[in-house]
Amino acid sequence: MSDHNEKHQHEGQEHHHFILPERTAVAVGLALLVLTGVTVWVAGIDFGRLNFTIALLIAVVKASLVGLVFMGLKYDRKENGLIFVTSFLFLAIFIALTATDLLFRGDVYVKGPLVAASGKSQFKKPWISTTELVAKGKTLYEQQCVACHGAQGRGDGPAGAGLNPKPRNLTAAEGWKNGHKATGIFKTLTQGLNQMPVFSSLSTDDRWSLTQYVLSMGPAAEKDTAADFAALKIDPTKDDGGAGAGEESKSIPVEVAIDLLAVPEQKAQR
Amino acid sequence: MAHTAVAHGDNYLNHSHGMMSWLKTLDHKRIGLMYLFTVLGYFLIGGLFALLIRLELMFPGQTLIDPNTYNKVFTYHGAIMVFMVIIPAIPAALGNFVLPMMLGAKDVAFPRLNLASYYIYVFGALFATSALFFGGADTGWTFYTPYSIRTSGAVISVIFGAFIMGFSSILTGLNFIVTIHKLRAPGLSWARLPLFIWASYATSIIQILATPVLAITLLLLIFERVFQVGIFDPKIGGDPVLFQHFFWFYSHPAVYIMILPPMGVISEVIPVFSRKPIFGYKAIAYSSFGIALIAFVVWGHHLFVSGQGELANFVFSLLTMLVAVPTGVKVFSWVGTMYKGSIRLNAPMLYALGFLQLFTIGGLTGVFLATLAIDVHLTDTYFVIAHFHYVMVGGALMGLLAGMHYWFPKMTGKMYLEKGARISFWWILAGFNITFFPQFIVGAQGMPRRYHDYLPEFSTLNLLSTVGSWFLAIGFFWAAINLWRSLKLGEKAGDNPWNALTLEWQSPSPPPHENFLVEPVVTTWPYEYKAEAGLTPVRPW
Amino acid sequence: MSSTHITTGGYQHAHHYKSAGDEFEASKQGMWLFMVTEVLMFGGLFVAYTMFRAMYPEMFHEASKHLAVNLGLTNTIILITSSLTMVLAVIASQKGQKGRILLHLGLTFLLSCGFLVVKYFEYSGKIHHGILPGGLFTNTEITHPKAPLFFSLYYVMTGIHAFHVIVGMGLMVWLAVRTMRNEFSPAFYTPVELVGFYWHFVDMVWIFLFPLMYLVG
Repeated sequence: MSDHNEKHQHEGQEHHHFILPERTAVAVGLALLVLTGVTVWVAGIDFGRLNFTIALLIAVVKASLVGLVFMGLKYDRKENGLIFVTSFLFLAIFIALTATDLLFRGDVYVKGPLVAASGKSQFKKPWISTTELVAKGKTLYEQQCVACHGAQGRGDGPAGAGLNPKPRNLTAAEGWKNGHKATGIFKTLTQGLNQMPVFSSLSTDDRWSLTQYVLSMGPAAEKDTAADFAALKIDPTKDDGGAGAGEESKSIPVEVAIDLLAVPEQKAQR
Repeated sequence: MAHTAVAHGDNYLNHSHGMMSWLKTLDHKRIGLMYLFTVLGYFLIGGLFALLIRLELMFPGQTLIDPNTYNKVFTYHGAIMVFMVIIPAIPAALGNFVLPMMLGAKDVAFPRLNLASYYIYVFGALFATSALFFGGADTGWTFYTPYSIRTSGAVISVIFGAFIMGFSSILTGLNFIVTIHKLRAPGLSWARLPLFIWASYATSIIQILATPVLAITLLLLIFERVFQVGIFDPKIGGDPVLFQHFFWFYSHPAVYIMILPPMGVISEVIPVFSRKPIFGYKAIAYSSFGIALIAFVVWGHHLFVSGQGELANFVFSLLTMLVAVPTGVKVFSWVGTMYKGSIRLNAPMLYALGFLQLFTIGGLTGVFLATLAIDVHLTDTYFVIAHFHYVMVGGALMGLLAGMHYWFPKMTGKMYLEKGARISFWWILAGFNITFFPQFIVGAQGMPRRYHDYLPEFSTLNLLSTVGSWFLAIGFFWAAINLWRSLKLGEKAGDNPWNALTLEWQSPSPPPHENFLVEPVVTTWPYEYKAEAGLTPVRPW
Repeated sequence: MSSTHITTGGYQHAHHYKSAGDEFEASKQGMWLFMVTEVLMFGGLFVAYTMFRAMYPEMFHEASKHLAVNLGLTNTIILITSSLTMVLAVIASQKGQKGRILLHLGLTFLLSCGFLVVKYFEYSGKIHHGILPGGLFTNTEITHPKAPLFFSLYYVMTGIHAFHVIVGMGLMVWLAVRTMRNEFSPAFYTPVELVGFYWHFVDMVWIFLFPLMYLVG
């Protein structure tokens, strides 16, 4: 029996078909088994994110062996191999362009509870009061909170008139369910509390600013304990509370929104 | 190789007799005809649903049917027209008949697979149609999740029918690619391939690459409904937008499956009826592949307002603009072909010109829709409906009619009745424009699509559109009846009534069973038309 | 339908081809085009896999640990070996060795049975623990809220793969029957070669499925 490697390109003639030697077949089969072993062994070693790539690469090598030798692409006309490989190109396009959507939506997929300070805060350790935070918080308070809590924070705002219980008197010392402390107020703003709505749509910065302003309206704040920070998944040793501790939802900073909405004359007055 | 002597008058139609000889045929010409009749039958059904839609929308408020029924009606209209009519139409009906002959071959590469493709198509179509009797589907032909997971009705029947029909499309494409690669006549080099072949080649590649993704999408949807796999179901943690990615990865290239073959027909018809070589042969050939390639990277423009991320929106908008380039190359080349040509306005040419008008409008409005900022307002309005009807009906269907008339003599041995063909063309052209142009306007004014009702301010144009649909319907019926009458009353056609240069015209009309009496040998490019000085025109116009 | 056939080496090829060699080449190319469709079909599932894995990497790590790596590894070994026996069957058909064809087809078939048996144990073990796709998931040990998605992908991907294995087994039986009827010879063994391609592709899919499903942890 003869093995012919040549292919006659002329039409109408008998083609000599390449017959793979059995030894080659068995050798490749063994190689595939060995590579399988390698795959399992490597998977047991922690290369971090590289593990996926390595596993995929070994799989590609194995698949190539199957394609080139078992399926005869190595000994066949280039046309067929080209046809087969092209399919993977289009699969890659499918994956890549779908990924531009699914993996790059940014804010939509919340990776953690929306309670901690995120890496995007412009303030360092915003659970500690600064004049800047308080000033910013004052502006926000006048837009977001005055309606219910009143201009002086006594819980006497017109929108709160019909609520039972009435909105909290922020100047009082007692009865703070989450504690009269930075983490407590931040938590209340983020998660809501009874009839107090959730204000998680405000950015993290905004909520910390409001927290500091609200604290400044009342008596001295209590200290935040380690447990308090842990409950919010904040690492108080880090300026930003720990990266990836939570993502804020994307929102237009209030100043920008006001600016966009204000008519020119009103702008001139301010 | 032995040649069977062909008795005088022996052709593929009388080669064998009886219903079974047709149902078990392996002759690509007969298979093509069977496809043609089935496709036209479904076109009638899908068209009736369209007329029903227009009747409902004739006046604001409920005219004939309630909203839930309306939802089912537009679902059937879409599903039938897409899966049972336009996708198979030119490739399987005209392509099956013409492609092997244009290549000088005796048949397609896999004749039995070809017959199987036909039966798979019929089976799938019947399966999907059966849904009508089991509660139907009201999801729209796009089956978006999570509604398609939750809604009751025979959604699975429609989906599974489409799944089955997909295999027919795949196998036809597979068959054509191998035929083009392996069965070309001696002398038929790549540089001499007719443009219809180039178009069919590009189409077949799309069919092979895209349709399997439809298969897995529909399968996953069935698993969603039956096994609650949840990949597309937000309640279980999946992503409904992912379904849309999956669906449109097929369905966008699908629209190029629908338009490339008609473009191929136009590329054949225009040189013949301008008596001039095609302008930009290489450009048109390459542009077919350009379109096929770009087809695969633009699907996200169907997801602009579905919650797709900003980055993806930007990328897809940009890429979608690109497809206008190879498309424009074709349109300009066709116009360039006609320039200083000796134009004969027989029916195929009329339909080709109608294609140019309608497809250009449709294509340009596609660019509006590709523009992200504009699409945000126009999407899900009647503007989109007008756009895709201009390209699909104005493009694909005009191309089908052009091809049917052009190759009618070859298929039947008779000339079609020219006068009736012309009249029906004008009815179709006028009716089409009256039906769909107003839809651009109401769409831009905000009328949403897939709604069973609309605001009173849109009444006049909707009424006009409905009246237009009657003209359009009359035109289609007239064209069909005219072709039917031509079978009996048409004069006998010679081998080559158009004096065309592609190989199929070197054979008798109708062709013998094995396509050619003598195996053709190609020595020239198929577009060496010269304005023949002193020769009488082929047919007086 | 019968048409003019040319007889070469005892095999008659179809009339519209110039030679048996041309017909064989055409059939092979047709099979490769079919492989393309299978790549895109399974590929779609890999797209879903990639997206969800990229979005929920920790969930994939946790969930994957609940897959039986040993069984997956066993199946990988079985399938690779069956690919080898399939190749040997094709080689035997190229040489006209009827007995060896049947032997290797039989081995491939048996190995496939083994694959399905292992699969049966895998699936039943999971179902027993309430590990079911998506909305049917009832297991309480695995806590990540998105974990049912991983198992949906697992069931769908390995399930469709197993379906292809079953189809392959049917094809092997068909080939065996035709071999026993002496329909194959060195002049004509196309069906064996094409089924071989199909089987190797099924193996290829598993080569990717195994690490991506079982070895994520």
